[in-house]
Amino acid sequence: MGPIALNDVKMSDPRKVFGAAVLASALKNPDITVLSADSGGSSGHGEFKKLYPERYYEFGIMEQCVIGVASGLATTGKIPVFCAIAPFVTARPFEMFRNDIGYMRQNVKIVGRNSGVSYSDLGSTHHSLEDFAITRMIPGVTVLAPQDPDEITSAVDAMFLHDGPVYMRIGNDPIPDLMIPGPFAIGRGQTLRPGTDVSIVSTGNLTGAAIAAAEILEGRGISARVVGMPTVHPLDRELIADCAQKTGLIVTIEEHYVIGGLGTIVQESVCDGGFSAKVCKLGLPHVYVSSGPYKELMAFYGLDAHGIARSVADKIGRI
Amino acid sequence: MSDAIKRLECRAAKCRRNILRMIRAGGAGHMGGAMSCMDIVTALYFYALYVDPLDPKKNDRDRFVLSAGHKCMAQYAALAERGFFDESLLDTYGALGTKLPGHPDMHKLPGIEANTGALGHGLAISVGMALGLRASGLKSRVFTVLGDGELPEGSNWEAVSAASHYKLSNLTAFVDVNGLQISGSTASVMNMEPIDARFEAFGWAVATIDGNDMGEIVRTLDSLPLATERPSAIIARTVKGKGLAFAEGNAAYHYWKPKEEELAEAEAELDRAIRLKEAV
Repeated sequence: MGPIALNDVKMSDPRKVFGAAVLASALKNPDITVLSADSGGSSGHGEFKKLYPERYYEFGIMEQCVIGVASGLATTGKIPVFCAIAPFVTARPFEMFRNDIGYMRQNVKIVGRNSGVSYSDLGSTHHSLEDFAITRMIPGVTVLAPQDPDEITSAVDAMFLHDGPVYMRIGNDPIPDLMIPGPFAIGRGQTLRPGTDVSIVSTGNLTGAAIAAAEILEGRGISARVVGMPTVHPLDRELIADCAQKTGLIVTIEEHYVIGGLGTIVQESVCDGGFSAKVCKLGLPHVYVSSGPYKELMAFYGLDAHGIARSVADKIGRI
Repeated sequence: MSDAIKRLECRAAKCRRNILRMIRAGGAGHMGGAMSCMDIVTALYFYALYVDPLDPKKNDRDRFVLSAGHKCMAQYAALAERGFFDESLLDTYGALGTKLPGHPDMHKLPGIEANTGALGHGLAISVGMALGLRASGLKSRVFTVLGDGELPEGSNWEAVSAASHYKLSNLTAFVDVNGLQISGSTASVMNMEPIDARFEAFGWAVATIDGNDMGEIVRTLDSLPLATERPSAIIARTVKGKGLAFAEGNAAYHYWKPKEEELAEAEAELDRAIRLKEAV
């Protein structure tokens, strides 16, 4: 497998890709039902609403109720999908997610869009930096963070075929096509770029930056393996074991607090497996982060390609 | 009083006796609210609900969601009496691994439709059920029992709005207004009166009844839906601890851990009540 080049790649709006994928699944499955908390249009569901008004329910801004309604609908055989700004479908209605969907084991798909700090200028109320941590704590919930447009499409397809609760997060800014080989399978990650000095394990829309960082590192004589992990929970522990055995250093990348998310999950896996590999976590600091233009914010926190490359080189220097 | 009403009252007495059976097994339980809503829950399971104990997941069944999940002994009592499971299961209440936990679990016991207990959840789940059943072309109805003590939960009012917006005439919510909660009277803890006017203002059709009067409960069930294209709210004024003279209207019996003499006295009182009702 050769390195994936990021030059001249097509950029796509993750929300539009998501909405189109839901519509494609809904064409095949009449039970798929879309719920909106004044959020459907911004979640790419405009076409669905036009084509299937009887399967589209608008509630206005009442996310707690929508989660409960989703659960009730699912008990009658419907497959509800509810997409809104990430903190408002995870942190705000957490107890409804936990009890009505998790504990009741209902086949409901919750999607947090504009996740991480992608509503960068809107401040911490609109950032979602704990959603991996809190959703994975609900037994039986699968947590997905697809990494590029095609993977969003595949993940939507897989989430509807999966019988059980799913939380998926997608971002806001256009994302590049990473030409991830596939096929997508829940619970499986993939090596996207070979390397021998360090494994960079990434998820969600940061994987493009992780690949670009690996290319920068290559120029500095550091061979970085890039592993894409679109399923945050349950983690692909076999792949992490392989990274731990082969590179000895794992650096995790996520648009999430450095605690509680992918990095923590990878650390648990390495520790539980008894591996001596070192795990370093990159993400947002556990504070109410700054606001500002997205790219500048990510660069400020060292989560652009250059920042990631700098951190990885630094970690290698320390070992 | 018709024979049908007398039979329902006798059932309610037997269900109340089942509650004591669970308390004897487990040593304690949320007795006060279970007793206050027992007549309503009895009328639902023995008069109103289209359910089949031999096929509890039947597609077109009516749904009953006990939003005030801590009153689950009332539901367990009625389900056992209705034949959803062997009544010997009542003796496992409070035991390790019981199918009758202190708040209901739909995956453990046939006839339970939702995992309630955290207050302010049941009505939204019921709205989803009512929407889903209607969208599936089923005539099934959804019944919910809320406690008056859970009305301050804001999530209820989100669901009250949604039910009205979607004109869910297949949804009926009983509010078991026993007027008492752990810290005292509901009016002093957080006054939600006038409950009927609040539901009306949100677009529901409302009836106020004596929720411990079987005849009135049945007449109200016969008149459902109270209006076309509107959900129905039945504000049921009840007595906490109903059926046990020493406990009636006393918030201290919200959660009851009886001494043996108290429990024996309660059992004797309900046994007498059953004998009396069987005699008439």
